[in-house]
Amino acid sequence: MSDAPRDGEHPTVGTYVRVALVLTVVTALEVGVIYVRRLAPIVIPLLLAMSAAKFALVALFFMHLRYESRVLTFLFVGPLILASGLAVALMTLTGAFLVFGR
Amino acid sequence: MSTLAARSDYAREILHVYGIVTWVAIGIALVVGVALAWIIVRFRDQPGASRVPAQTRGHTLLEISWTIAPALVLLAIAIPTIQVIFRTQAAPPRDALEITVYGHQWWWEFRYPALQVVTANELHVPAGRPVALTLQGPDVIHSFWVPRLGGKRDVIPGRLNRLTFTAETPGEYRGQCAEFCGVSHANMGMRVIVDAPDAFARWVAAQKTELAEPAGLAAEGKAIFAGRACVGCHTIRGVSSGALGPDLTTFGSRHTLAAGLLPISVDNVAAWLKNPPALKPDAKMPALGLTDEQARAVATYLIGLK
Amino acid sequence: MMSADSSGRVLHAPPSALAGVETPATVLSWLTTVDHKRIGILYGVTGFAFFLLGGLEALLIRLQLAVPNNTVVSAQAYNALFTMHGTTMIFLAIMPFNAAFFNYVVPLLIGARDVAFPRLNALSYWIFLAGGLLLNASLLAGTPPDVGWFGYANLTSRHYTPGPGVDFWLLSLQILGVSSVIAAINFIVTILNMRAPGMTMMRMPVFVWMTLVVQFLIALAFPPITVGLIFLMFDRFFGTRFYDVAAGADLHLWQHLFWIFGHPEVYILILPAFGIVSEVLPTFAKKPLFGAPVVIYSGVLIGFFGFGVWSHHMFATGLGPVADSAFSIATMLIAIPTGVKIFNWLATLWGGTIRTTTALHFAVGLVGLFTIGGLSGVIVLIGGSLFGLFAGAYYWWPKMTGRLLGERLGRVQFWVIFAGFNLAFFPQHYLGAMGMPRRIYTYPTDAGWTAGNFASTAGAFGIGVGVLLFIVNAWQSLRRGAPAPADPWDGRTLEWRTSSPPPAHDFDTIPPVYGRDSFWREKHGPRRGAPPTASHAPLHVPAPSHWPVMIALGMGIAAVGALTHVSIVVIGVLWTIWGIVRLALEHHRTHAHADQTGVLGLDHRKMAMWVFLGSECFFFGTLVATYLAYKGRSVVGPAPHEILNIPVTTVSTFDLLMSSLLMVLALAAVQRGDRRQARLWLFGTAVFGLVFLGFQAYEFTEFVHQGFTMQQNLFGSTFFVLTGLHGTHVAIGVLWLLSLWVLALRGRLGVADAVKVEIAGLYWHFVDVVWIAIFTLVYLIP
Repeated sequence: MSDAPRDGEHPTVGTYVRVALVLTVVTALEVGVIYVRRLAPIVIPLLLAMSAAKFALVALFFMHLRYESRVLTFLFVGPLILASGLAVALMTLTGAFLVFGR
Repeated sequence: MSTLAARSDYAREILHVYGIVTWVAIGIALVVGVALAWIIVRFRDQPGASRVPAQTRGHTLLEISWTIAPALVLLAIAIPTIQVIFRTQAAPPRDALEITVYGHQWWWEFRYPALQVVTANELHVPAGRPVALTLQGPDVIHSFWVPRLGGKRDVIPGRLNRLTFTAETPGEYRGQCAEFCGVSHANMGMRVIVDAPDAFARWVAAQKTELAEPAGLAAEGKAIFAGRACVGCHTIRGVSSGALGPDLTTFGSRHTLAAGLLPISVDNVAAWLKNPPALKPDAKMPALGLTDEQARAVATYLIGLK
Repeated sequence: MMSADSSGRVLHAPPSALAGVETPATVLSWLTTVDHKRIGILYGVTGFAFFLLGGLEALLIRLQLAVPNNTVVSAQAYNALFTMHGTTMIFLAIMPFNAAFFNYVVPLLIGARDVAFPRLNALSYWIFLAGGLLLNASLLAGTPPDVGWFGYANLTSRHYTPGPGVDFWLLSLQILGVSSVIAAINFIVTILNMRAPGMTMMRMPVFVWMTLVVQFLIALAFPPITVGLIFLMFDRFFGTRFYDVAAGADLHLWQHLFWIFGHPEVYILILPAFGIVSEVLPTFAKKPLFGAPVVIYSGVLIGFFGFGVWSHHMFATGLGPVADSAFSIATMLIAIPTGVKIFNWLATLWGGTIRTTTALHFAVGLVGLFTIGGLSGVIVLIGGSLFGLFAGAYYWWPKMTGRLLGERLGRVQFWVIFAGFNLAFFPQHYLGAMGMPRRIYTYPTDAGWTAGNFASTAGAFGIGVGVLLFIVNAWQSLRRGAPAPADPWDGRTLEWRTSSPPPAHDFDTIPPVYGRDSFWREKHGPRRGAPPTASHAPLHVPAPSHWPVMIALGMGIAAVGALTHVSIVVIGVLWTIWGIVRLALEHHRTHAHADQTGVLGLDHRKMAMWVFLGSECFFFGTLVATYLAYKGRSVVGPAPHEILNIPVTTVSTFDLLMSSLLMVLALAAVQRGDRRQARLWLFGTAVFGLVFLGFQAYEFTEFVHQGFTMQQNLFGSTFFVLTGLHGTHVAIGVLWLLSLWVLALRGRLGVADAVKVEIAGLYWHFVDVVWIAIFTLVYLIP
């Protein structure tokens, strides 16, 4: 059977539905934000933050990481951070960030 | 082509760092090597006396020491290294001679935009004046390397790379492509001829004077050249303007043919003309079906182009 | 409740009854083995065959270079030789040798009876064999690759290298990558989850630690090169623009992707050798490894920082002084933990009682030569990896074969290789300083390089003689070598506690763990704490399986199809999928397979899935980074904002998010035994997945109709490959879910099978999460 949850908690169906709702709302906001001219200067950080939030919600709740052993968090988050760092480095080295201003 | 015989500011900078690193490396290697040998000899098991030694597990102070000591050594290496990196990659000064280098499979094209000179495989530069090379490539990645004058810098299609150096003493320096670029990568040599300033001026002038009309065998050669596919690939000022192969306008003033493959002589040029791929595998210049006499005629013509 | 299934033998008999259980020595038994020891031997023998081939290639290279203007081989042949030599030695010799030791020794060192996934272990080997055979088939076809083992674009484009040589090369490398990553996941789970009771992480032998670091490096470094190769494959087969300069591509991209893999790869090659030295030196000095925790941390740091130095392979490419300096500093930093290891090795020997066996010779040789090689920055593969592997061979040969290798001949062999190695490579340091570039098939008489090259060639043949001597030694040992006891060296670690060779089940009882160097403590003290009571759990010996061979065969067929005709690709892919399904269902009803909980309280399969997802972060991260790096660099249109349909994609994004909700509902249903809802939600998730794919199919066809193809521009190439690969992941997920649904329909998905649904769910959610990133970074960000 599955291993014991960390703090004895286990999400209910209600929790899952609520998470799904939040995901929907944030997605709608994301799409909406790109059409708002006033937000244009900060649209990129805004979008990155919102998608990071969705990423985290799915990982923590749907993928159950919040309730799992820390080993699993480490096994996933470690490579995730390293991959992100490498991606940023690669983009920097190939001059991608010079283009972002366009 | 020794990197240890530096003849330019760039090469001397590299040699400076290389020297530091080499001596440090030799020092560390000696320390480790001698220690290793001594330890093996000193603590070698004597037959019949198999004692169990003290089961030492570690020593914190030692660990800290031999972490910090190498770090300090590396710091001593890092500082000159970074200084040299920035100095050798600094923007060229305003009075630098601009030369554009094109790396082809498997020859070098050199253009002097300010002087309106085009040549191939042999680069003339003045001594004592900074030379700013801009490296471009129409085909694959090559690497410009003249060991005594400067470090390697890649020719990367789609990018402009720069290499700036000031050659010190007049002389002839050999170089070679240093990034594998296909079948005849080994046959992509070059020469850099460093001239005293007045000799350089004379060379530039010679590149631009009208070529004398050839006579005799050379005239026959010219007729063959002009009447064949040669004109589609090669430029000879006043005769043809092909752009696929090296510019041959002053071919006769060069020392080697086919990117450093052979010294220039009628025999060698004729042999090349008859069957280039036989001498330089996969060369893009095809055998043109010349007879021996025709080849010698064209060779004589080409050698006369000074 | 134990049952004796036809699909596996479940034993809980006293040790004596097991002594006579021997695995047969038939060809079929070797083809279907899942025993880690046999798989280790397969890797070792196969690797050695390829090693000899690569060595032959090296000797031909050296013969050609022995004198100037030589004509032993043509220019084309020479270029093929160094390409094949490099690729073979790295991927088909050193890595399999390392794998041989991982497989044979690691389970023994941690007191386990096998690896976490024995059949996947076999699969890794057979896929490796397929890749190796495919690469060398290029020789038989007369078209070996000739672009260097690093194959720089754009020399590798169809335009500049039209023949199939590069295709053989890139296909076999991708196959080899799959083999390595599967094995990496296997070993990570094994090491984390299958240690004997009492063996904490810090009590593990250093060789196991180095293995663990290497597996993480493999799992994370192979995805970037896989992506780079996919780009190359698509350029060559389908005309995309990833490395097309005229379309605005940056040729640095290939080099970055290659070396982001390539640098960790050199640590993948050398860390196992470091691990071996860390076992051999203490054993033959009769002292513990000095500073073992520090050596372990150094290994971990080297692995981690190894991801940050890759552009030191690109110093001549014009990255600019800031990048050059940054990577120089990072490279120097890595030298610190490496130096620390060397000092700790010296301190291990100091004060010890040193028995100068052949294994010790090679280990000490490595310490010396790697120091020099590392300092000079040049060839460390032989002086480092190979010496370490020979040390390991001499050290573990008795355990693996039950016989001793000749020590006198061994020492002669060491000195011959040592001398040959130095004679072969020291002149090359000098030749480089004298201006001789690499990868040239000949050189002129007046370059001054003749003497150095001739000496180097002599040295290379010396190495060859040394290898021959090893073969002689091995042959004599197997034929009439002295029988080896269980513990010939008065060893320190657990593998010496079982017979030489071990029985099929490795240990009669799981050994007690008293601390680091546990076996030494057991023999000579001090023992720390009472040993944990022996486990009375049933002894499950994994049953043989023929599906690993079949799957590897399918992959080979698909690769051959890529070189010949698309119908063969289809056959190969279908064959592979069929093999995978049969493998997955093979032990579906075996009770012993239901509970796979390990030492950390985690199910093996769940842990494996999370490791795989970490690897996938690198895969998709590379794809996304390339997309963003190339953004705005297309020479022709269309641009993203001109063609991407955000409203429609928003709907499909919503669909995929909701599918994740259905997935967790499905899992919850299975976990509480609600079969009806389980069927409903599983099917629902699959349907939602199909809807997403439908949207994607619609989007793709629309684009193509509007003239936007993957060949159109950089945006097209990066967009279609990124979203297409994501779509492929979704499709695989749909197939997986439908298979689970079918199982549920047949009543075969009970509460005990919840973990199978759980791992499918993890995969599915991850695919969803990747889409969240793609939707934002590709569609929404302006």
